[in-house]
Amino acid sequence: MHEAMPQTILIVEDHPLVAKFYRMALERAGGYTCIVTENAEEILAEVEQGRVALVLLDVALRGTQWERRPIDGVELARLLKQRAPGRLPILLATAHAMAGDRERLLAASGADAYLQKPIYDVQELLETVQRLIRG
Amino acid sequence: MESFIEEVKRYLGFTTQDMALLRQLGPRLEKHFPEMAERFYAQIPLHPNAFRVFTGGDIQMVRLKQTLQEWARGLFRGVYEEEYAAERYQIGYRHVRVGLEQKYVISAMGIVRAFLNERLLLEMPSGEESLPYSGALNKILDLDLNLMCESYMHATIQNLKKLNEQLEQANRELASASRTKDEFLSHISHELRTPLNSILGFAKMILDGMCESPAEEHELLQDVFSSAQHLLALVNDILDIRRIEEGRMTLRIENVDLRQVLDSTLPLVAMQAAEKGLRLINETAHVPLPIVWADEIRLRQVLLNLLSNAVKFTKEGSVTVRVQTPPEAPEGSGISSTRRIRLEIEDTGIGIPPEKRDAAFEAFVQFHQIDARRFRGAGLGLAISRRLIELMGGRIGLESATNGQGTLAWLLVPLAETVSSRRSLAAGPL
Repeated sequence: MHEAMPQTILIVEDHPLVAKFYRMALERAGGYTCIVTENAEEILAEVEQGRVALVLLDVALRGTQWERRPIDGVELARLLKQRAPGRLPILLATAHAMAGDRERLLAASGADAYLQKPIYDVQELLETVQRLIRG
Repeated sequence: MESFIEEVKRYLGFTTQDMALLRQLGPRLEKHFPEMAERFYAQIPLHPNAFRVFTGGDIQMVRLKQTLQEWARGLFRGVYEEEYAAERYQIGYRHVRVGLEQKYVISAMGIVRAFLNERLLLEMPSGEESLPYSGALNKILDLDLNLMCESYMHATIQNLKKLNEQLEQANRELASASRTKDEFLSHISHELRTPLNSILGFAKMILDGMCESPAEEHELLQDVFSSAQHLLALVNDILDIRRIEEGRMTLRIENVDLRQVLDSTLPLVAMQAAEKGLRLINETAHVPLPIVWADEIRLRQVLLNLLSNAVKFTKEGSVTVRVQTPPEAPEGSGISSTRRIRLEIEDTGIGIPPEKRDAAFEAFVQFHQIDARRFRGAGLGLAISRRLIELMGGRIGLESATNGQGTLAWLLVPLAETVSSRRSLAAGPL
């Protein structure tokens, strides 16, 4: 039964064109359903309902607020890991690409994997997402 | 006073008789003082500790010789017991610091005494003998060397301390500059990768045949194009600030129609403003605008920058453009004859606190200060704009908006006629 239902990926990305690219890539090449939002309440609601198979999360979120202060992807990842009812893989996708960023961001966020922008290889993105969802 | 003289007497072994002799001989000996001083200090290099002394430098030596002569002069005029002793502090202070002056005075007197011995023996009628002072010289020399060393060490330590403080300060500044540049680099790298993501991603999709229709392909190509334009703007900003920092920015300043500049710039932000539901109010529309003295392309860049900022930092409300021509300064009033037009761009946005306005014009500094990370772009626009407008002889600034909320950015641009009339004036009448 699960096989028949398309799995849902939550895209948290504040740049509309980048979000558009993720959505097209994941929906067309992977057959996933995508939700795009950078609203923290909406993100948490989706995750807490247990409908999300994976979160594709940007680090620098310019407009996202939580409890009336700005929250970035690192903090949000920790929050989502706490609130998710089951296993929730999180893929960090970020343009932070200076030396040491990968280790620092993975350790600080508790995310499962890290992709560095520019992300343009649809196949690589898809394989990473599939691998994380399989667990 | 009395105790000091007693102290000196004890130290040197002066007697009342000695004093009387000195006073009597004084006027005759006075002409020998410079020579005495020279001879005494000529011996210093022969002293085992001399190398320590001479690091003190020539100035210190000149001062020592002067002090010595002044002391001798005072002594022989018989004034040392009164005024001269009172001046000992100043004399000693000439070349040694607080705490050393008294020792120095004693030393100087001893030197006089030792050399007097030679002179007394030469000048006194035979039969009258003074006490032998042959042993005194080395003792005095040692004392002087010690004093000079102490003085030198004291000064050196002070200098070292100062140097150390300066080094620490420089170190802190360097660390901070390096951190700021690192942050800047990290920010720029981040900003460049975002449009690249769209450019490469959508191009790859088109190439891989992932589009469902030619219309969709066209739409993605539009996205690629606009992202590439954004990328170009970022790269241009980085090149501009580099050129400015290296002093290589050259402008082509000429007569420029401000109307044309405004009319060609406003449409560039009109769409952005409309997308955000902001009103773009052009109060200059029915006002005659002057010819300004500027680099047209760069002036447009500055204007576009201020307008884009206004739109970027305003969530709702409006962005208003207006001009004010300041009244001409009366002739001979001494006020600078450069007349400039004032352009204002006012928004109803988040505003910028007064204490952060200066930092907004600094390249590299602003990221942590105004939290530009939360907004897109290289964050160099205002820094570039300020340098450009200053190169044109204008000025730029930020104020609070008139309604108290939002930002008012102003620009002073020199008017063409003022500059040209001043030029012909400078050329002089024929």
